[in-house]
Amino acid sequence: MPRPQTLQFGALLYGSGGHIAGWRYPGARPDGQLDFDFYAEVAQTLERGGFNTIFIADVVSIWGHQLDSLHRTARSDFFEPLTLLSALSAVTSRIGLVATATTSYNEPYTIARKFASLDHISSGRAGWNVVTSVVPLEAANFGRVEHYGHTERYERAAEFVDIVTGLWDSYTDDAVIRDKESGIYFRQDGRQKLDHRGTHFRVDGPLNVSRPPQGHPVIFQAGASETGRAFAAKYGEVLFTAPTSIAAAVTYREQLDEALREIGRDPGDVRVWPILSPIIADTDDEAAQISATLGSLIHDDVLRRLVQDNLGDDDLSEADLDAPLPEALTSTNRSQSRRDGILAVARAENLTLRQLAVRFASSNSAVGSATTVADHIQRWFDSGAIDGFNVSFPYLPDQADRFVNEVLPILAERGIFEPATASTLRESLGLPRPAGRVFQS
Amino acid sequence: MTRKLHLNALFHPSGEHLAGWRHPDAPADAATNFAYLRALVEKLEAAKFDALFIADLVGVPDSKPAVLERVAVVNDGFEPTTLLAAVSAFTTNIGLIATASSSYSEPYSLARTFASLDHLSKGRAGWNLVTSLNDSEARNYGLDDHPLHGDRYARAEEFHDVVSGLWDSFGDDAFVRDSASGRYFDPAQLRSLNHRGEHFTVAGPLNIPRSPQGRPVIAQAGASEAGRALASRIGEVIFSGARDIHSAKEYYSDLKRRAVELGRSESDLLVFPGLTPIVAPTLAEAEDQFEALESLLHPVVGLGDLEYWLGGVDLTQFDLDGPLPELPVSNKSISTQQGIYQRARERNLSIRDFAREAGRGDSIIVGTASDIADHIEEWFIEGAADGFNVVFPFLPTTLHSFADLVVPELQRRGLFRTEYEGTTLRENLGLTRPERRAAA
Repeated sequence: MPRPQTLQFGALLYGSGGHIAGWRYPGARPDGQLDFDFYAEVAQTLERGGFNTIFIADVVSIWGHQLDSLHRTARSDFFEPLTLLSALSAVTSRIGLVATATTSYNEPYTIARKFASLDHISSGRAGWNVVTSVVPLEAANFGRVEHYGHTERYERAAEFVDIVTGLWDSYTDDAVIRDKESGIYFRQDGRQKLDHRGTHFRVDGPLNVSRPPQGHPVIFQAGASETGRAFAAKYGEVLFTAPTSIAAAVTYREQLDEALREIGRDPGDVRVWPILSPIIADTDDEAAQISATLGSLIHDDVLRRLVQDNLGDDDLSEADLDAPLPEALTSTNRSQSRRDGILAVARAENLTLRQLAVRFASSNSAVGSATTVADHIQRWFDSGAIDGFNVSFPYLPDQADRFVNEVLPILAERGIFEPATASTLRESLGLPRPAGRVFQS
Repeated sequence: MTRKLHLNALFHPSGEHLAGWRHPDAPADAATNFAYLRALVEKLEAAKFDALFIADLVGVPDSKPAVLERVAVVNDGFEPTTLLAAVSAFTTNIGLIATASSSYSEPYSLARTFASLDHLSKGRAGWNLVTSLNDSEARNYGLDDHPLHGDRYARAEEFHDVVSGLWDSFGDDAFVRDSASGRYFDPAQLRSLNHRGEHFTVAGPLNIPRSPQGRPVIAQAGASEAGRALASRIGEVIFSGARDIHSAKEYYSDLKRRAVELGRSESDLLVFPGLTPIVAPTLAEAEDQFEALESLLHPVVGLGDLEYWLGGVDLTQFDLDGPLPELPVSNKSISTQQGIYQRARERNLSIRDFAREAGRGDSIIVGTASDIADHIEEWFIEGAADGFNVVFPFLPTTLHSFADLVVPELQRRGLFRTEYEGTTLRENLGLTRPERRAAA
């Protein structure tokens, strides 16, 4: 299908806000993390504004392992995404519901069922952000000393996704006839067992729920390393990216389209949404002031860990925040593409740890009046490299309100945004509904 | 304090009777029709039910294709935790008990899911801990066969201990969220579990604060020796499969006695036998409804259900008009298999007669509101039940008639509440909120 002519928006919702000190900002909700009514209120605002989807990130542990910084952040208390989005489905009617779930520490049968269930509950609004687990502590919650190595992680992920999509095809769309008269609930020739035997999994199937309304819930992905990009090209329908410039976004899209064509996929069937953290105020100056205030609310211990967590496992606990980056930093099993990019920039600009940390905390931001932020969005969209944005609000509810009430109307006025109105997520994204696969018997 | 009766609603939206989905009043797509389910649950909450309880299997059983194609329940339906999370958003008092298998889940994931449901619902979550019975379930999770009976229970017990330990990761008032000082939680109140056991190694801590109920309510249905031992140690809501008042009283007193021996109080666990009511203003109308339902059950489905509970035998190799033969001990539910033999001996039923009754489920009662209330009252007063798992064979009819006819009768008799006691499941069940376990 052709790529859409207007912008799409997802909202990365995180209770009190995405900025690491957002919960402390005046007017934010410090206790927003576990306040369902607050989530519902923000979700309804986004739905009213015409956002395509809500998106919930996740790790299967507390989000950081150093207590000195952790206890000063809202990173140890969050809803489990599938239960949260199921609850939100009951208080919304159109907006998409995208949950992160890891392929490293789940079982495919369980994940296939839960997303199919969410898709039925929400009448076709479910999406799955497929991730592999790399955060320290996650492995130890699942009986492993270390998480899987880079290659094995992605091999397991590929097998996992193949099984899940296969299980969603257990029934054909017209198999479940529910004929009360004859007493036949489903046609046997419309149901198939997967009988998967692979390296990591054995799963027989069939799934114990009829085919999801969308055929398959929409697959979101964010792989950035070489292996990750190949994975994303093969499976992803909406790709989350974090390009450092418009030029980088253009290069990414060109390479992606080439990779898609190589494996026989239509580039029109894949959306690319970079991350965007807007700080919107009445004037550019006021917005800059908000940004500075947010930076100043980050405790020194948190700043230190921010650098550490973004780079890998390097110990910076004794490092001077106002001196340049230490020379000796060790390689890790974490996301390598990200690490290399960060180090190159920091060294080139001779940044101090504090400067680097504040930059992490406010990365991918667009700071200014509604017009300034709309201009920023339009510049990126005009490049033709992106289809929309994955918007992370630094603190809530104020920034979501402003984005919906001030920025979106400007984009609509300019003709590059139309509020989403379709009832399923797939339709709202202009993505094709997958035909059911027939397995070899 | 006077004892108060408790009522859970056990249902699959297609109806628990194997032919329930065929009933003329049932929407054919009930299994995945959330709007329809919503109306049913709102009716239950208006009737002041303690909890909605969802059973579960993690796979389609290996029944004969000719049986499976005629059944809704095991083939089509919502996953319980996602469903109950969605239900939490439009209800305020009713408890939400989801079944989740200890055989094919990871304790960290399960602890999170239920803690999350408890926070979402502001204290209404319950976990029905089961061990999985079917080879077909095992084969969705990498195994050839499901684990043997004894191993299943050992794993279940360790699983429970890990989950409840994870629920205690943070102290109740750990999260101060003080914007001014920048202190979000008190690190002194964080404790990692660092569990290393036979089946699991789990470091913790959980990534969610202690939940409104301290811990979600634990439901359990152990009936065999291993099951009773587990239920009496950890269960708070105990499902009893007893079919008559004598075995119900035996089960009730045995469970309470075992619990007391383990240092618990009798009121720390509530015993819920099943009750499948078909109720109408007159007995004749109720009997008509029952007959109409049974006529919808295809003989092959009834036989298939019997085969399933006997451990997967093919009964067509025997004379269907002859008695039920003695078969090897089931690796599924031992207690259910034994109950079937007992009934077969007592009532001298042929295989064919037995199969006709199979779709009924446990403890079907056909009668007027006063008949049903008499049964409930007798079992409640005589020490056979603290409450009932009310099973609705076909929907919405049996739910509406129970709510409109039986509940008011129970209220008139002073047995059942007219208002919820509280907003958490523990408050409504009269269960105490568990203290956080002391550090080891």
